[in-house]
Formats: sequence, C-alpha cells, structure tokens
Amino acid sequence: MQSAFYPQKKVSKEAVYGTCFAGIPVLGFIIFGLIPMIVAVIMAFTDVKFALEDLQWVGFDNFAYALKDKMFWKSVVNTLYFALSMPISLIVALIVSVLLNQDIVCKKLFRTIFFIPYVCSVVAVALMWKWIFDANYGVLNAIITKCGGEPVLWLQNASTFGIAVIIIGVWTGSGFGIILYSAALTKVNPAYYEAAKIDGANSWKCFWNITIPAISPTTFYLVIMGLIGALQEFARIQVISTEAGPNNAGLTVVFYLYREGFSYHDMGHASAVAWLLALLIVGITAINFKLSNKWVSYD
Amino acid sequence: MTENALKTYKHESKPSAKSIVAKTAIYLGLILFALWILIPFYIVVITSFKTRIEAQSPEFTLWPKDGFHWDGYIEVLGYKAGYSSIPVVWLGLLNTLLIVLPPTVIGLFTSSLAAYAFAKLRFKSKNFLFSVLLATMMIPGTIMLTPSYLLYDKIYWTGTAFPLMIPGMFGAAACVFFMRQFYMGIPTDLIEAAKLDGMGYFGIFFKIMVPLSVPALLAQGILGFIGGYNDYFGPYLYLTDPTMYTLQIALNSFQGTYASKWPTMMAGAVCALIPTLLIYILAQKYFIQGIATAGMKL
Repeated sequence: MQSAFYPQKKVSKEAVYGTCFAGIPVLGFIIFGLIPMIVAVIMAFTDVKFALEDLQWVGFDNFAYALKDKMFWKSVVNTLYFALSMPISLIVALIVSVLLNQDIVCKKLFRTIFFIPYVCSVVAVALMWKWIFDANYGVLNAIITKCGGEPVLWLQNASTFGIAVIIIGVWTGSGFGIILYSAALTKVNPAYYEAAKIDGANSWKCFWNITIPAISPTTFYLVIMGLIGALQEFARIQVISTEAGPNNAGLTVVFYLYREGFSYHDMGHASAVAWLLALLIVGITAINFKLSNKWVSYD
Repeated sequence: MTENALKTYKHESKPSAKSIVAKTAIYLGLILFALWILIPFYIVVITSFKTRIEAQSPEFTLWPKDGFHWDGYIEVLGYKAGYSSIPVVWLGLLNTLLIVLPPTVIGLFTSSLAAYAFAKLRFKSKNFLFSVLLATMMIPGTIMLTPSYLLYDKIYWTGTAFPLMIPGMFGAAACVFFMRQFYMGIPTDLIEAAKLDGMGYFGIFFKIMVPLSVPALLAQGILGFIGGYNDYFGPYLYLTDPTMYTLQIALNSFQGTYASKWPTMMAGAVCALIPTLLIYILAQKYFIQGIATAGMKL
C-alpha cells in the first residue's frame, strides 16, 4: 500500500539487492586483493623472513638489496629478452589472420588447430618442448645431425636456452592473437576497400592504410595484455628447469622473486622485487597508453 | 550489390594465373603454420608409443619401428606411489576436479549475479564498484604472491586447497564484464514485465537472465574450468601433501619418477592433455566466442 505513495522505497529495495549482488566480487577483491596489497607494501619495508611476526622496519633496504644484486639485473635483462616473443607472436598472428580472412575452404579447421596451444597446460607444453629440444634424443638435434650439422645443447647452453624459451613463447602465444585479429578483420568496413580500389590503391596499400589502422585497437589490446603476461613469465621456465636454466639464463624477474621469497625465505626482498616489477609494468603500460594516441584509431 | 556479386562470380569463374598463385600461397602459408602447431603434438604422441630404446636413440623415427607399444600408458595410468591406493594420475584427476569445479560453478554464479546488478539494477554505488572491479584487472598478480602466502599461512591455509578455491568463489572481474555485456543486450521491458508479475530480483535472475544467457555462461564456465585445470603455480605453491596433488603437479613430478623414460613421460603428457582438448573441440564455438568477445569489448 505505502510503496504506491512512496516510490523511493521500491528504489531502495532495488539498491539493496544491487549493492549486494555487485558487492560480492568487490568484497572478494578487498579480502584477497586489497588486504594482501597493503601487506605487500608493509613487507617491502620490513625484514620479514617467512612469517608475519616481529617485523622490523628497514626502510628501503630491501629495494637497495635488489637494485645492487647483479642477479636481479640479469633477471630484468632476461625478462625483457624473453618478452621478444610478444611482438613476434603478434606479427605471426596478424599474417596468419590475414590469410585466414581470405576466401578459402576449411577456415574453421585451420582456426581450431591454431588455437590448440592456448588450451594446453603449461606443464604439458613445457615437457613437450623439453623433449623436442633434448640434446641427445630430441627431434631437433636428430634433424640437425641428419643435415650434417653438429648437435646443439639447446637447454644446456645459456645462449640457446633463451632462444628455446622465445620459440616456445611464440608457439603458445600466437593462437590468442589469431582469434582476436580474425574477429577484428571481419569487422573492417568493406566500403573502405571499395573506395580505395576506385582510387587505384593496390592491395599492399590497402592493407597498410586501411587494415592496419582499422585493427589497431586490437593490436593495442594484445600489446598491453601480452606485455603484462610476458613480464611475469615464470612457470614455463620453472617446469623446464627448476634452477632457471644454465648459468641462470632462464632467471626472469618473477623467478628471482620466487627464489628470494620461497627458496631463500626472504619475503622482504621478494616483496620489494614485486613492487619493482609492478613499477616496470605500470611504466611500460603508461608509455604504451601515451604512444597509443599516435597509432591507435578508434574510428 | 548484385552487380558486385556478379563481378565476383565472373572473376572467380575464370581464375587468372595470378589468382591461382595467390590462392596457392595462402593455403601454403596456412598449412605450414598448422604443421608448426601440430608437429610438436605428433612428436609427443608418437614418442609415447615407442619403446624406450627406440625413443632414446639418436635417430628419430617418424613411425614406431616395431609397432605401437602401450607400455608407457599402462605404466603411467597404473603407477601408484607409496602414499595412495589409487594410481597417481587418477588421484590427480580427482583432486583437480574437486579443487576446480566448486570455485568454477560458484564463481560463475556470483559473477553473473554481479553482472546482472551492473547491467540492469539501479543503485548509488554502481559506477564506483564497477571502476573498482575494472581497476583490479590491471593489477599484476605477482604483487599478491608473497603477502597472500604469508597471510594464508597465518590462518593455517597453506598446505590446504582453500587458497586455490575460496578466492575464485567470489567471482572474477573478467567474467563479470563479459556477462554484463551480455545482460545489457537483454531488453529491460522483459524485466519490467516480470517485476509487474511480482517476480523478485532472484526470480528475475534465475528465470529470465540465466536461461537467456546459457551460451555465455557455458563459454565462461569452460574458460574458467580449463584455466583451473591447467593451473600449475598455485597448486605447486600451496599443495604440499602428495595425496592432494592436482594432475598438473603429478605430471610435473613424473620428471623425477621417470627421469629417463621419455615414452612414459610423453604418455603422461598425452593423458593430461586429452581432457582439455576434448572439451575444447566439443565446445569450441562457445570457447572462441568467449575469447573473441572479451578481447573486443575492452
């Protein structure tokens, strides 16, 4: 009865339900995200070892430790090097998507195949490539010796270890780009191509001046997500080599962090490294956003 | 339009030499890329059927010389460690399902409930809560690694599956976005009509929103399940008791168990890959839709 006269009462019931429904994931974030993040700040400035007790404030010592550690810098260089797999996957994905977007048969079959690596587990993929790169019995060396070459110690050599990691990264990473690019390519307005043809543009010019700008938001998204993922590379390498490869050739920043925190039980160091990594990620992402005005076009 | 179609038709009915070359190049490119993806799988599968001597000879054979051997599969599927009466692989699969299914299903429910609120309900803090959720997607997970571990340790959750299960039950930001997008497409008139019929908010959610969004829910559910099934680092960190190992952790431990038995290890890898590949192939439509839409909307 009353609600007919006071419509705001009805609205308030909706508000209660709405806030409750929408609040559940936010509550989850506060408990499992926000609180750990606050603790992470505290940890980075204390001498925390492997338990949250008797914490002593140490200022920037943990940061100084990492920044003075040669291994940390090695891990930064390695991480950036392995991140090369991101642009390579991107270019491969673009080329394959353009081919896939042509008038061909078996489109679905090809797409299904290209996306398989994305659904495979890190462990299975790592084992698969470990076997392929195996120095003694691996198929890669079998081919090389058959062609008269010397077998390569792929995973025992610091220089080839990195190449192997990048190859695995490209193999795993291109499927995601192909799906997104394929979707983006089908949405490019055909009228643009028609107009360009009338103006006498060849297919290369069309690709460069129409397709590339039209799909630039997808490229931007892939670059951002790809970098955030690549800068946190760890699990794949850890399955291949628990010691981070020969002479720490596979030591990424997260691997370094993991080692400091969970092997050497110095969570203070590890937390400082986590913040340094976050800074790197935020910095690179910010640069990306800044540069995006120049090349990303949202129609 | 028809003129255009006619032109294309004519063009195709008399293929020029140039277009044949172009077509061949396109197919060649696609086939080469398909081989690059498939050959590693072929090597794994074929190795799993070889004898140990054949697999571990410097010469690589494309086909098992003396027939297919199932020894690797028999060994890996039947291998029991000292700690359990069920073979390690089956125990791992069981653990994986027990650990992954509850948060997948409950998380899907909470995510879509929140998505319904964000898409269709009016409340004051809506925009604020939504931007909070948006921001969480940008936070690199690595930051939470060390404090989470010590906090879980404080409440005696390390060594249990809780850290792997409970957080996911509150829903995932990515899933909320995806479902919200979907729910925004459902006409508000439909909901208003249901309201007039006296349906409550839960009623509208279960009787209208859920039935209308089954494909989208499936897409998110499958993505969530495969992600959990394939997860390595979380279980590696928190599960210390071998009887609780998930399939991926068990598979990784085979590196020690079968140090130099490549056929057995590859058989293990094949077994671990089969469930996800089956789901992927059967539910491909939903899967690719989920990915493509998620990427397009952001």
